[in-house]
Amino acid sequence: MARTLSVSELVDEVGANLAGLESVWDGSMSDAYAFFRHQARPEVALAATLVESAVALQDLGRTAPDPPRLLLGDLCLARASRLLADTHDTELQVAFAEAVERIAAQAAGGPAARDLRELLVAAILGRR
Amino acid sequence: MISALRLDVPTSSATEFVDITARLQDAISTAGLRDGQLHLQSLHTTLGLTVNENEPLLLGDLQAMLERVAPRAHAYEHDDLTRRTGVGPGEPRNGHAHCRHLFLLPACTLLVEAGRLVLGQWQSVFAVELDGPRKRQLALQMDGDFDANAGGVAHDRPDRELVELELARQLLVDPEPVREPMQRLVEAGGKRLRPLLTMLSSRLGTQDDPLRAAALAAAIELLHHATLVHDDYVDQAATRRGRPTVAAHEGAARAVAVGDYYFAKATRIIAQLGNPDVSSTIADAVETICLSQMDDVRLRGMYPGDYAAYLRVVRGKTAALFAAACKAGAQLGAASTGVVERLQRFGDLLGIAFQMTDDLLDYSVSSGKPLGQDIRQRTVSLPLIYATEDVRYGARVRELLAGPLEDRDIQEVQELVGATGALERVGEEARGVVAAALRELEEIALDGVGPQLADLANSTVDRVR
Repeated sequence: MARTLSVSELVDEVGANLAGLESVWDGSMSDAYAFFRHQARPEVALAATLVESAVALQDLGRTAPDPPRLLLGDLCLARASRLLADTHDTELQVAFAEAVERIAAQAAGGPAARDLRELLVAAILGRR
Repeated sequence: MISALRLDVPTSSATEFVDITARLQDAISTAGLRDGQLHLQSLHTTLGLTVNENEPLLLGDLQAMLERVAPRAHAYEHDDLTRRTGVGPGEPRNGHAHCRHLFLLPACTLLVEAGRLVLGQWQSVFAVELDGPRKRQLALQMDGDFDANAGGVAHDRPDRELVELELARQLLVDPEPVREPMQRLVEAGGKRLRPLLTMLSSRLGTQDDPLRAAALAAAIELLHHATLVHDDYVDQAATRRGRPTVAAHEGAARAVAVGDYYFAKATRIIAQLGNPDVSSTIADAVETICLSQMDDVRLRGMYPGDYAAYLRVVRGKTAALFAAACKAGAQLGAASTGVVERLQRFGDLLGIAFQMTDDLLDYSVSSGKPLGQDIRQRTVSLPLIYATEDVRYGARVRELLAGPLEDRDIQEVQELVGATGALERVGEEARGVVAAALRELEEIALDGVGPQLADLANSTVDRVR
């Protein structure tokens, strides 16, 4: 993409896929979406944005979120999963899932993982 | 006839009361014991048995009493390893645990009538860990009159074993901080209804592949457990199937991570099957579950809610995964569109019947579930909705539910719900929903899995007496 999309353009682009998640679409999500949109088509960029948002909402690896934020984070992960399933791209789905597994395992006290955005970009570019 | 088996009881704390009531009931149902006795024996000198009330504060009191009776910090002759003979490396210093064991039972016998453990309203059966965490085992023997078709759903045994093996295989490779709590949850038992539905549904097409079906079935079970881990945190539940929840035991932050890990892992296993229809079915179901969970939390502000709201939440939170388990299984087996659609409706109805029956367990003395838990947690539940509609007692039930819900209030609500006939009404309705589910299968060539599907369907409503 040659230029950065405005927030309204971004929201138009992702459209109905934000249903139920309007409250979490903020500046940082716009920035994340703009970043991933440089690497991938809209639905994949949105899936990556939603995964980042879920991890942020749930404060993964730090303090537990309150229940509404946990549930919003769950919905972000579920929506991302559905968007990826709709691509019918098995490799992409597996790579995204592995990124979340690594981040979640690290958050639980397991092995250290790379930065989430790095993992997601690698997943998008097929360089796990 | 005597049926003998071993019950694995992994424990996770130094001192722990593990409620094994539901697992004992499962063992009785699986063996088909109708009337007789269940003999139970600890195979350890620092694991006792007791029958008491599963109330978290009381369990704390009991632990404190054991600590007073035989304090861990006290000096015990048994712990002086320099004076003992035959002591190997790693010998635990657990004199306190042996002393505490004197106050518990090494073995006990429980009565079984009409296929159910005979227990009083507040009684639960506990294995009491005194020197954990450890992998423990209990010996069980049952004698008495067994069903002629003993084993109940035993003809699903190969499927069940495949699912259990696949679950164990999947858990084996996970990092310990996520594996350990999930293993505790998975090993706590359960009927494995969703994965068994997947296994059976996968046989109704042209591509029957038990190993691929088992992978899908195990992933669906892991997904289900991932949602339970988060649900328990949202509901602030201390125990599930008699064991501490992940949030209660490992802490809320880790529970969030464990739920996310197994959500991701399950979606990966499903993606690796390489069937886009299956992936889409599960993804849609998970999204529905998440939206319904949010709906459910919102509804607690309008507790106890109405029938339409109840059905909406139940369809989303519970039935969506039952329906997806059936549909995805059929899709994996390359069943025809018509079969896939019928199985999806079958699963949806079973999920509704399952939840209605689950609501009744809140009033069942022998379910293994703490009585009144739904009322205490203000969970939307059909018996309560029907009770609030009752001409005689509805107003009083509503009044109690609007209040702070102390123990005596919960007991009164339970009694009033019983007096309104709501429990019988819900039970009858659940059986009607199962009958409707089975009618969905009438037009399908069931390739020999009809009896198993019917058994599973009936087992959703046979959990309560």
